[in-house]
Amino acid sequence: MPITVHIDGQPALAEPGETVLDVARRVGADVPTLCHDPRLEPAGACRSCLVEIVGQRRLQPACAFRATDGMQVTTDSERVRRHRQVLMSLYLADQALDDDGLPPETIDGNQLRALALRSGPLLDLPPVQAPRQARPHDDNPYVGFDPDRCILCARCVRYCDEVEAVSAITLSERGAHTTIGTNGMVGLKDTTCELCGGCIATCPTGAMYEKKAPRLLAEPVQKVRSTCNFCGVGCQVDLNVSGGRVVKVTSPPPGQTVNDGNLCVKGRFAYDFIHHEDRLTEPLVRGPDGQLHPTTWPDALQRAAQGLRRVEKKWGSRALGFVSSSRCTGEENYLVQKLARAAFGTNNCHQCAAT
Amino acid sequence: MFGAGAMTNSIPEIRDADLLFVIGSNTTEAHPIIAMEMKRAVQRGARLIVADPRKIWLSEVADLHLQLRPGTDVWLLNAIAHVILAEGLEDRAFIAAHTERFEDVRAAVADYTPEGAEAVTGVPAEHIRQAARLYATTKKAGIYYTLGITEHTHGTDNVYCLANLVLMTGHLGVRSAGMNPLRGQNNVQGANDAGASPIYYPGYQKVSDPASRAKFEAAWGVPLSPDEGMNLNVMMKAMERGEIKGLFVMGEDIVLSEPNVSLVEEGLNQVEFLVVQDIFLNETCRFADVVLPAACFAEKDGVFTNTDRRVQRVRKAVEPPGQARADWEILCDLARAAGYPMPHYESPAEIYAELSSLVPNYGGISHARIDAEGGLQWPCPSPDHPGTATLHQGGPIKGRASFQAVAYRPSDELPDEDYPLVLSTGRTLYHYNAATQTRRDSGPTMKQPESFVEVHPSDARRLSLEDGEWVRVSSRRGEVGARVVVTRKMRPGCIWMPLHFAEERVNRLTNDAGDSVTGTGEYKVCAARIHKDALRAAK
Repeated sequence: MPITVHIDGQPALAEPGETVLDVARRVGADVPTLCHDPRLEPAGACRSCLVEIVGQRRLQPACAFRATDGMQVTTDSERVRRHRQVLMSLYLADQALDDDGLPPETIDGNQLRALALRSGPLLDLPPVQAPRQARPHDDNPYVGFDPDRCILCARCVRYCDEVEAVSAITLSERGAHTTIGTNGMVGLKDTTCELCGGCIATCPTGAMYEKKAPRLLAEPVQKVRSTCNFCGVGCQVDLNVSGGRVVKVTSPPPGQTVNDGNLCVKGRFAYDFIHHEDRLTEPLVRGPDGQLHPTTWPDALQRAAQGLRRVEKKWGSRALGFVSSSRCTGEENYLVQKLARAAFGTNNCHQCAAT
Repeated sequence: MFGAGAMTNSIPEIRDADLLFVIGSNTTEAHPIIAMEMKRAVQRGARLIVADPRKIWLSEVADLHLQLRPGTDVWLLNAIAHVILAEGLEDRAFIAAHTERFEDVRAAVADYTPEGAEAVTGVPAEHIRQAARLYATTKKAGIYYTLGITEHTHGTDNVYCLANLVLMTGHLGVRSAGMNPLRGQNNVQGANDAGASPIYYPGYQKVSDPASRAKFEAAWGVPLSPDEGMNLNVMMKAMERGEIKGLFVMGEDIVLSEPNVSLVEEGLNQVEFLVVQDIFLNETCRFADVVLPAACFAEKDGVFTNTDRRVQRVRKAVEPPGQARADWEILCDLARAAGYPMPHYESPAEIYAELSSLVPNYGGISHARIDAEGGLQWPCPSPDHPGTATLHQGGPIKGRASFQAVAYRPSDELPDEDYPLVLSTGRTLYHYNAATQTRRDSGPTMKQPESFVEVHPSDARRLSLEDGEWVRVSSRRGEVGARVVVTRKMRPGCIWMPLHFAEERVNRLTNDAGDSVTGTGEYKVCAARIHKDALRAAK
């Protein structure tokens, strides 16, 4: 049975069990969040989504508060705005700030910075010299952690527990020393971490970052939506392109594609092969000396076609074989079998994964 | 089996399943993102049954781990069927309405008692009973399998056994249930769909069927051969016998990835002409007469079809290096150079349009539609069809699905005095197949820099092997080096090696005996032994 919830005076239908945030976002109310990720259990940790609910003495976190029938919610009031202003002021007092006095921009967009920019004038609070520590000797090649940018919302930790389910990282230490650590503060490569990088993707502030990608570029990256080229799951990826190079791979947001915002170590990080110096860059033909030598495209194609034709003339089309590839596109597989069947008259055509 | 060679259900349905039966799939390593969906289901309370010779990650969180001896799947699965029938847990209404030859299977599994299975498979009879009851009595119960099922000489038999379980319990055409082969590569499904097959034109239309042949002859304007071709396994052997004289290889390093590679290399030495088209100078190029440099996935347009029949776009993001060109462009030029009038396609969208015009099930799929709507799952016969998430709703596509009675056959090569260990091979999380891509990245290389062999502590003790010691592993076909990893993950008597390392090619060891139907090599079972590396020890 649907229930009715009033968001800023507008009635909205909701399913029992939905949170106030679910309903508010669906009707277009602008409720900011930092610690929220639709893949994770609500944590109510960052306090940026607090709203007024009639009958509740204190502001309540929309992400964790269940909607009930007849509930009256105000997402934008003087009280809510004042709360956000104080909250942002507290956050920024505990952050490394750039020359504009804001949390630094990142390649993926710093959500804390964006929220600070729209929260009105901030209070002038003395900076907190937070003694949060990073892991001192973590030489894993992919996942970096910058404690000065961390707001301890624990999205990374909860992702590691709830989605990747390897529990490699954890909130460690106490009080002002609280940080994102590992058991014994060892490097990630000595933990259960599988280097999926989900912690980087879910981090709202760029405290978790990809070591081998730029942290910020002068020009925004161009994101090209494509399909991962490793296993058969078909994860959708955004190839982040800058200066004609793929500089990073990210997932589309959760809820939109088959991978629900997730990627694995290969899909997210193993893109160095694209621009690798070992790539083949010119056609090669074997010379009389038995070695492969560079040549032109017309020459290589002519030799390839003639070589295959020669075998066909001498031994018949049954003596030809065409090995296609499950790594290549559907169109290319179509063309290989068409080449084998229509151009060379043989059904000896298969591909590497005969499964 | 039921009318379509693909996952019957969809990846997003996994999280809502109430029971997952994962067999022959180390999902967290080979399909990590599907494994996340499985983890989510388990966190929600779904029961999990894992059948695998190794204590894989998923087995640690499973309700039941059936740790069978490699290659005894038919015994295990027939015993599960035996229990279902003996206890009357089958879905009689579904069997009567949608299947045929049920009695064949009832008769065939009569002798496969759980106690008999325990003796052969090593799985306790009581666990087999529990698994059968859980599977049969849960409505949303899905089977997930991959190469641990198919890479056997009895791979097709294994698949039949699984299908029998699905049919006798009616777990078909239901959300979050069904029978789900997890495809290992980005576009295995799409390559098969597009007709890269010795017996099928695009869309599984048989080359032996005159009507299909006439259709493709009309479309392509030339007469076509009525003879079925050779599958890859047969092709490799024919090459060695001198029956294949010319070979074109695109995007595969056959010298690394085919079983019993020493034989493949001998064959390649004999072929008169070899063309290799790839993005790297791979091992197979050593034998090539012509090497054509190709673009990688980030440098071209097209589609990949994933394991749940979802046709999705690949988009060009950057330019290929140097003179490298997209495979589709090269193929068109090669066909024309050989005198075949391949059309001058403007783009892969036009090629896809030609493909979909010839296959009714893909008729509603186009680049334009995918660009506008996202991935589309076949069958999708018309432009207004939304695609199909769950197959066989309202009964099997092909009408009545047939049970297949299967008898257990041992693997082709069993351990003996000379080669006392059972070797299985597979993929790890950090690398991908021939690893030409992943070994060019620092993370995988840091996690797994070199080849290794997993050994049970009892075997390690018996053979006086230390964890971390470099050893030689050999079979009747060859020998390679590997670093010993002593782990209780293994069954005693069984060892496991990754397939990724070019300098220690494990496919020197594997058995090229192929499945009688598909030709898939027996990568999962061969007899092997381990001995100390005297040379290295001396250094």
